[in-house]
Amino acid sequence: MKTETRNLIIGGVAVALIIAILSPYIASTNPDGLGATAQHLNPSKWNSTSNDFTNPGYWNAPFAGYMVSQLGDTKLAGIVALVIGCFIAMGVALGVSEIIKRRKRSDVN
Amino acid sequence: MILHIPDGYIPLWQCAIYYIIAIVFLYFALRWSRNNLNEKNIPLMGVLAAGIFAIMSMNIPVPFGSSGHMVGAAMVSIIFMSPWAGVICIAMVLMVQAIFFGDGGVTTYGANVINMGVIGSFVGFYMWQILKKPRLGGLLNLGKYWSVGVAAWIAIFLAACMAAVEMALAGTFPIQLGLLYMGGFHAMIGIFEAIITVIVVFTLQRVRPDLLAWNSKKNVDEFDLSTDTQDEREPPEGKGKVPPEEAPSQ
Repeated sequence: MKTETRNLIIGGVAVALIIAILSPYIASTNPDGLGATAQHLNPSKWNSTSNDFTNPGYWNAPFAGYMVSQLGDTKLAGIVALVIGCFIAMGVALGVSEIIKRRKRSDVN
Repeated sequence: MILHIPDGYIPLWQCAIYYIIAIVFLYFALRWSRNNLNEKNIPLMGVLAAGIFAIMSMNIPVPFGSSGHMVGAAMVSIIFMSPWAGVICIAMVLMVQAIFFGDGGVTTYGANVINMGVIGSFVGFYMWQILKKPRLGGLLNLGKYWSVGVAAWIAIFLAACMAAVEMALAGTFPIQLGLLYMGGFHAMIGIFEAIITVIVVFTLQRVRPDLLAWNSKKNVDEFDLSTDTQDEREPPEGKGKVPPEEAPSQ
C-alpha cells in the first residue's frame, strides 16, 4: 500500500473515531427533523417514553439506538457501537468497491 | 435520524415501489463504480463512508426542539464529480445503519436511498454545477466554496421535502403541514450540512487536492448522467480539459 493511501486511511479513520467518541457526549437528545415532525403531526408514530420512533418490530438491529446493550445505558455503550459502526461502514465500502473492481478486471481478462 | 424513515411509516406496497426505483438507481451507481473506482479512490470511498457514518451520529440541536446532522451525499458527489458516487456511498452507509443500528427501517430502505442518496446526490451535484458558474451576466457569482455550501443546503432541503411527500402519500403526515415542518426543520439542519461540506471540500483542496476529481479529471458537462469511465469521455487531444487551478470556475 502506498504511503499516501495509508495516510489517507489513517487520517480518515482517526477523524471518524474522534467524532464517534465525542458524539455520545455532545450530540443533542432532541428528536431529529422527522421525529420532531412526527411529534407534532402524528404523535402515534412517536414513543415519548423512549423519545424515539415506535418500532413495529420488522427487524431487531443488534446495536439498536447506536448502543451495545450488553454495556448498559452508558456513554461507553454508545462509543463502542459507533466505533464498530465506523469500521463496518468502511469495511462494506471498501469490500463492495474491491469486488466491483475485481469483477471488472476478470471481465476484461 | 434526520431523514431516516423508520419501519411502519410507509405501507409495505409503497415500500416495494421505492425499492424498485432505488434498485434502478443502484444499478447505474454500480456501473459507475465499476468504471470509475480504482486503487486511488477506493480508499477515499471507504474513508468517506466511515466519516459519514460517524458524523450522522452527531445530532446538533436546531431551534424549535429538533436536531439534525449532515448526510454527505452532495459532498461525496462533488468530491468524485459524479452523483453516482454519492448514491453508492450513501446507500452503503444507510444499509449498515438499517441492518446493524436500526436507524432507518429495513422496509423503508428504498425510500431512504431515494431521499438521501438519489435526491441528495443529484440535487447537490447539479445545483453545484449550476451555481459554480457566474449567472445573470455575473450578477449571481457564488464562487467555488459558496456554491458547494448552497448546493449542499438545497440538497438536504429538497430531500426533506421529498420525504414529506412520501409521508403524505403514505397517509402519515398531511402534505401542507408535512412540507412546512419537514422543510422548516431541514432548512435549519441544512446549514450544518452546508458548513461541514464546505469544510471537508476546502480541507481536501488544501491537504490532498489530488483526491478532488475536479483537479484531476475533466469537468463533467452539466446534466451529464454518464456512468462511463472518465477516460472514455475524455475529449481527444486534450480538448476541453481545464487546468486544475481553473476548475471549477470561480
